[in-house]
Parts: sequence; structure tokens; C-alpha cells
Amino acid sequence: MTDNSIVQAAIQLILLALVSLLIPASYRVIVGPSLPDRLQAVDLITTLLIGIIVMLALVEGTENFVDMAIALAAFAFIGTISIARYISEGRVF
Amino acid sequence: MLLELLGLAALFFGLFFCAVGVIGVIRMPDSLTRLHASGKVATLGLFGLLLGAALLMPSIWLRLLVLGLFVLLTSPVATHAIAASVHRRREIVEELAESDAQAESTDLTAVTATAVLSRSRIQDIIDAQERALRHHTPDAKTKRDT
Repeated sequence: MTDNSIVQAAIQLILLALVSLLIPASYRVIVGPSLPDRLQAVDLITTLLIGIIVMLALVEGTENFVDMAIALAAFAFIGTISIARYISEGRVF
Repeated sequence: MLLELLGLAALFFGLFFCAVGVIGVIRMPDSLTRLHASGKVATLGLFGLLLGAALLMPSIWLRLLVLGLFVLLTSPVATHAIAASVHRRREIVEELAESDAQAESTDLTAVTATAVLSRSRIQDIIDAQERALRHHTPDAKTKRDT
């Protein structure tokens, strides 16, 4: 854990920038012309969220947040695969 | 001190690629090019962030490595599934436009009227096709594949 205040400030700045990147990504979810575009934007948002959780673990100094990021990655993978299969095949299974 | 400097450099590297990917997703004209841009976030952007976090907080490097390996395995598969769905959608549109043009070209008076298939008409066809796909009888599938 770092106690340097400049490093802490830089980490918080990066966390703020990552959170503000969610806004343009959700713009693509709202106006995306077709269904695969929206799905892809949701996938991008979950990737950004994994980065945000890792940065949050750095800011708070809590190690267990990374487990949360792993679980989010696993569930996002399952969801993306099943919805993409639903779009292309018309059914999930 | 050197470790912190390297970690911050890796974090800014990851943030730069995250920003580039999001800007690409906003600005690119086409579904597949947008997919290309969002792939940069999943690989370079996220790995930069993970490397920086491992350098700044060395006690969690093993969990970060596991997370990185997992993302490295799953992200290309998810991107491939989305690209396949985009491709399948385009195939449906082309097939339907082609069959429509063939059906209409048999009577000569209607050719000029339907030479330009309007955008809303194509959207109607896609919706009807999706409704048909949702029910998905095996009979319809074999007809589509042949």
C-alpha cells in the first residue's frame, strides 16, 4: 500500500477519468443502431467496470475487491455469449 | 520509488488506451470497426491497468494475474460471438433483398419501383425475420441453410 500522497492523487484522478468514460460508452448503448451494437457497448462497459473495480481496490487498499472483479468478468462473459447467440441463432440453447 | 513511477506509467498507459477505445466506439462508422476499437480496451487498456495495480500494490499480484489470464481467455471469444451475430444479420438482409429483387423482377412494370429498396422496408424485413427466427422450427432452419 502506497502512502505517497502524489501517487494517491494520481490514482484517484485515473479512477475519476475511468468513471467518466462510462458516459460516452452508455451513449452507444442508447443510440446504437442495431442490437449487436448495444451488446458490444454493454460488453465495453463491463470491461471498463473491471478496470474501475481494480482502481477502487488501489484507492481503498482493500485486497478483496479484486475477487469481485473476477466474478464480474465471469458473469459478463456468460451473459455476452448467450445474448450474442440469441441474436444470431434466435435461441440460446 | 521506481516501482511507484513504473506503476503510474502503466496506469496512464492503460487509461490512454481505454480512452482511445471509447472514442473509437463513439466515432467509428460501422459495427465491425467499432468492435475493433472496443477490443483495444479489453486487451491493452485493461492489461495496462492491471500491470500498474500489480506494481503499486504487490500483495495482490497473483489475483491480478488470474484476472488478466481470465480476461485474456474470454474477451476474444465474446468479441468473436458478437462479430458472428453482426455477420449473420448482414447475411439475412442480403438474402432477403436478393430474393425480393428476384421476385419483383418477374413482372417488368414493377422493376423500377422496387429497384431501390428503402431503408424502412429492410428494417421491416429484418423484424419479420427475427420474429420467425425466434420460433425456430427445425424445418425453417434446413430451408434457410440449403
